[in-house]
Amino acid sequence: MPQNSVDFNFLTEFFKSIFNQHVLNDFLSYSTTKPWFFTEFSFLLVFGVFLVLYSFLSLSASIRKIYIILFSLFFYYKSSGLFLALFVLMIISDYLFAIFLHRRKGVFKKILLFLSLSYSLSFLLYFKYVNFFVQNLNTFFGTSFQENNLFLPIGISFYTFQSVSYLIDVYRNEIPPSKNLTDYSFYMTFFPHLVAGPIVRAKDFMPQIADAKIIDSNLFKESMMRIITGLLKKLFIADFLGKYVDIVHQTPEGFTGAENLLSMYAYSFQIYFDFSGYSDIAIGIALLLGYRLKENFENPYAASNITMFWRKWHISLSNWLRDYVYIPLGGNRKGLVLTYFFLFVTMLVGGFWHGADWRFVFWGLAHGLALIFHKMWTEIFPNDSKKWYKTIPAILITFHFVSFCWIFFRATSFDSAFSSIHQIFFQMRPADFAGFWFSRTQLCYVMIISALIIFIPFKLKDFLYSRVQLLPAFSWIIWIMIALQIIVQFKNEIVQPFIYFQF
Amino acid sequence: MEFPNPGKKNKSSRLLILLAGLSFLIPLTLIYLYRNYAGNFKIQGIEIKKLVGEENSPDTVSEKGKSTDSLVLLYPFKRFKLTRDTVKIAADSSFLGDSITVIKTTVTPIPSGYYSDEESGLKKPIPVFTSDTTKHRIMIMGDSQCGGLCFPLNDYCVENGHRLIMSLVWNSATIMNYAYADTVNSLINKYKPTFIFLVLGLNEIEAKDLANRKKAADLLVKKLNGIPYAWIGPANWKEDYGINKVFRGAADSNSFFLTRGMNLPRGGDGRHPNNEGYRLWMDSIATWLSCQAKFKVALRKPSKRNPFKSPIITLNAAKFRGF
Repeated sequence: MPQNSVDFNFLTEFFKSIFNQHVLNDFLSYSTTKPWFFTEFSFLLVFGVFLVLYSFLSLSASIRKIYIILFSLFFYYKSSGLFLALFVLMIISDYLFAIFLHRRKGVFKKILLFLSLSYSLSFLLYFKYVNFFVQNLNTFFGTSFQENNLFLPIGISFYTFQSVSYLIDVYRNEIPPSKNLTDYSFYMTFFPHLVAGPIVRAKDFMPQIADAKIIDSNLFKESMMRIITGLLKKLFIADFLGKYVDIVHQTPEGFTGAENLLSMYAYSFQIYFDFSGYSDIAIGIALLLGYRLKENFENPYAASNITMFWRKWHISLSNWLRDYVYIPLGGNRKGLVLTYFFLFVTMLVGGFWHGADWRFVFWGLAHGLALIFHKMWTEIFPNDSKKWYKTIPAILITFHFVSFCWIFFRATSFDSAFSSIHQIFFQMRPADFAGFWFSRTQLCYVMIISALIIFIPFKLKDFLYSRVQLLPAFSWIIWIMIALQIIVQFKNEIVQPFIYFQF
Repeated sequence: MEFPNPGKKNKSSRLLILLAGLSFLIPLTLIYLYRNYAGNFKIQGIEIKKLVGEENSPDTVSEKGKSTDSLVLLYPFKRFKLTRDTVKIAADSSFLGDSITVIKTTVTPIPSGYYSDEESGLKKPIPVFTSDTTKHRIMIMGDSQCGGLCFPLNDYCVENGHRLIMSLVWNSATIMNYAYADTVNSLINKYKPTFIFLVLGLNEIEAKDLANRKKAADLLVKKLNGIPYAWIGPANWKEDYGINKVFRGAADSNSFFLTRGMNLPRGGDGRHPNNEGYRLWMDSIATWLSCQAKFKVALRKPSKRNPFKSPIITLNAAKFRGF
């Protein structure tokens, strides 16, 4: 064989391997150990094929919509298997309920709403909370009911909330019910937001179905940039930090206070990059297809108080809670005491939404109390000052409070959370920080870079984005290649699923 | 997606979406091909992966020495290369057979010795080079016993072309320290050993909470992340309550060396072996490692003491919880 050579026999093997029965079976079947999400190698490859075929599709809007719906359904099947059937059932029932709801008035309308919401929420309540309910019944009342071996369908919390928002908006006459099952299915199944948000409102998305954006060079660059930054945030930063956080949270009592504290910071960064990275990918993919999803994060850790934090963190969820829990309860229209109570209940629901565990409820309550405290504080000390010597400490205090609460979010149990807190407060030795730096230098660098990105002023980010826009469109193929190679080099052998994936 | 009027704008949109698709498809396909078919791409007769130092090529790996194959497959850190020079096979070895496709170089055969076969109890001659002759980056870690064992281990390493890259002597440590601190991970990440000696148990001869120790031992094995290892049991000065059994159960089969029962000369405290004891201990370990261990390593007995040049990290469990 010549010195510089390529043995093209590999092409035969390559194509044989792709069209191999076993590989095709693998591709077409669902695996509980390898569910699809945006950072799976196989998904990205198939997504590339999806886009190539999409570009050749006919100009008919219906054909394009059906193509995206079919791909979305396949994506959901690869994520959750036969729960696809449940999802399809929910879509059809919502569609029909909304039409009937719109035609009725008075008490019958209310009853229909109650029935439709009960139906939609029943699946979420059953799959997510029934075992929690049984456990607590057994613990507190000494019963011995058997827990079921249940698998939580991926994304159920997200699409259930979407379904609820649609039904309530139709009830309130804020939007007309969709008369086209294809359009409604498109809204519910649209794969960028399907399994981990953002929670998209029908009134924001449905008008776009009829009037999708035509991709131009700017939108193309924006979407590719969002996808790449999302992949890098998730696979490069979040997964890397996650390796350390997992080690410490296995046995926090085995680590010093310094290590637990740094693990607390690392988890704060991890959850932000993980979730915002995922949202970036979702927004980027949606934009590539011509649909704009709303931002889900706006520099939340730079918030100077907890109220502002909740306006910038998981914006789609906090808006949903405001519009469908807090305001219907009464909002701030029934006096100060009830306002605080409604805030408390709203955050309780928010905590509970995250998981069937008292830790999440505790986390929600802590945030609820913090929101109440902030409201009281602003009543007593109204202050709009943006002076740096007030803003910076406020940001640091808010960040530390949020990070402290994340301990309960991440810990495997209350005991583990309190162990970690105990280590932070009672096993802290300054010398351990030096030891940490020398033994985990790479991790320290990643944490410093994360902190810089997180606390960077928003305008600077816009400036960077605008500069990146100047790059020619064809160059993005090279940037994607570089980004994917970086990701593959640094990728964890076991890919961490998105933290919010199982909600 | 609606395209109300076909025209220039629509064509460019299609092109952009096509470009987006290709932006994912082409790099991912190239990455897939590189990972799975790199052997088909050669520059100057050398495979691309070898050029970038990622993998050894098939013709430097012993077919008979399956432990070498498993070493390559298990070892996740692909920083070092197995080159032609690092594999030496005795040209006249009768144990290797004709099916070997390794590079043959001349090498001085080791003098034959004997070992006791566990199953039959018979004395058998140590076969020549059936063990893995790959040159290793060896790391030894454990409790205070490491402080004595690292010296004869160093002699063996120098004699056989291995490198003792680091010795971690964590005085008073137990399996709990190793399992629950980040020390093992961070040192493996830093020093990248290809073979690990674990020497633990001296401080838990009297331990009775065996369930906890088992959990910790399992965790420690996981931390090794597939790197070949030899777990050396403690030099019992008295009967233990089951710690040896726990360690043996946690380790891979034939990866645990049972020291209990060896009649080793002891130091002043009556527990730690003295220098001669450590040398005798190492001789036995070397014989076992060459013939019977799961992850075999060729260790010819050194003819002299060799200079000790690698770092020793000494920790004290009473003061240091690990990092």
